[in-house]
Amino acid sequence: MQNNYSIWVTEFANVPNYPLSGLIYGAHNQGHVRLPYCYVVIKGHGHIAMVDVGYNHKEYGQVLAGMYGVRDWHPPREVLAEIGITPEDVSRIFLTHAHFDHMGNIEDFPKATFYIQERELSKWVWAMSLERRFRWLMAGVDPADIMRTVALARDKRLVCVDGDREDVLPGIDIHAAPDTHTWGSMYVRLRNDLSPNSKNTWIFAGDLVYMQENLRGYKPEDPEYIPIGFASGSQVNLVMTTEELVKGVDGDISRVIAIHEDRLKDMFPSRLASNGVRVTELALADGEPSQVC
Amino acid sequence: MNLSSDHIDDQTAAYILATRTYFEDLKQVAAQLAGLLVLSAAGSKSTVPLQPIEELYRNAADGLKSVRVTNRARRHHESLQTALAKLGDALSSAKGTADPLIPLESAYADLRSASRALPGFEMVSFDYCCCHAK
Repeated sequence: MQNNYSIWVTEFANVPNYPLSGLIYGAHNQGHVRLPYCYVVIKGHGHIAMVDVGYNHKEYGQVLAGMYGVRDWHPPREVLAEIGITPEDVSRIFLTHAHFDHMGNIEDFPKATFYIQERELSKWVWAMSLERRFRWLMAGVDPADIMRTVALARDKRLVCVDGDREDVLPGIDIHAAPDTHTWGSMYVRLRNDLSPNSKNTWIFAGDLVYMQENLRGYKPEDPEYIPIGFASGSQVNLVMTTEELVKGVDGDISRVIAIHEDRLKDMFPSRLASNGVRVTELALADGEPSQVC
Repeated sequence: MNLSSDHIDDQTAAYILATRTYFEDLKQVAAQLAGLLVLSAAGSKSTVPLQPIEELYRNAADGLKSVRVTNRARRHHESLQTALAKLGDALSSAKGTADPLIPLESAYADLRSASRALPGFEMVSFDYCCCHAK
């Protein structure tokens, strides 16, 4: 199978005990799971791209650690060093949505151009204009992140996408998923052989999917789609988008990458570095050395 | 609201309760102004009207005049007043030719300082999002 890109999922923090009901719709009183926080790194064709950038520990780390039990945060420089790159090497970043743990660290990537759905920004801005009793609509969004995107836009490093866009980089497509996890969520589809009808595809789902169960239910032999436990958009849209994701990888749901899925490390080759950073390797471009073996 | 830390006396607790609304108003002014700027810089078709932002600002400015500031709350109040002044500059700039982003970012930093000075003032609500493990 021809690979034009190497792909790694890198873990930068985790919550040791996260309620399952937050991840799988209706899974009340069914216990807790470990919730990793990760971003995806894609290397090939002279580019290093990322899907999401995590959050900035120096502003919220103490609150998140103290109140919500988030642990083991590592800065991008430390995380990316585990696969031999620096934040300055990153040229493209796809922001799946505007939650703080996905777009809360854009300032650490000084040379990257960022892609986000225009709808994601404009609807957050609308939500900001509502009265305080509507503040649930702003959950997880840091206005400071929106402020930082002003500078990005002025530097021509912010691309607001309206809907789908093919070949943002060769073989890499952006797909809009409006009114799902958030108003303007999107996912990234990578065709690793660059073919339009590729059989070697990966989908990076952002928070459209948290766990394998969202893609196949509890009985793999009788699969069903179960939406995630937290969405400001429509559960119907989430279910229909899940169908899109599964079709986008020809039914091989192991190729729909959910960055909060703790079992990724068991599904693909993985390495836990001495500093606690975990690297999971999804694919290696021809000639690229493994970063986990 | 967690008022248990740092020996909050009754008068300061009253200050916190009275000021929280205005703190939220100022945060919202900053957030909306940031939204206006990013949509404009990104060439978006969406727009944000300035008038409601100015009304919110005036509400906070008027309200802050009447709160009773205790010694314990003094640093918090100074940060709020500084943020208020800088947001005023940012709003004026948004209507003129100067760049609102510089006073806006500075005002947001002052709001963050205020949030650290006393309990009960959150910059971001992490409830309901994918870190809320309680």
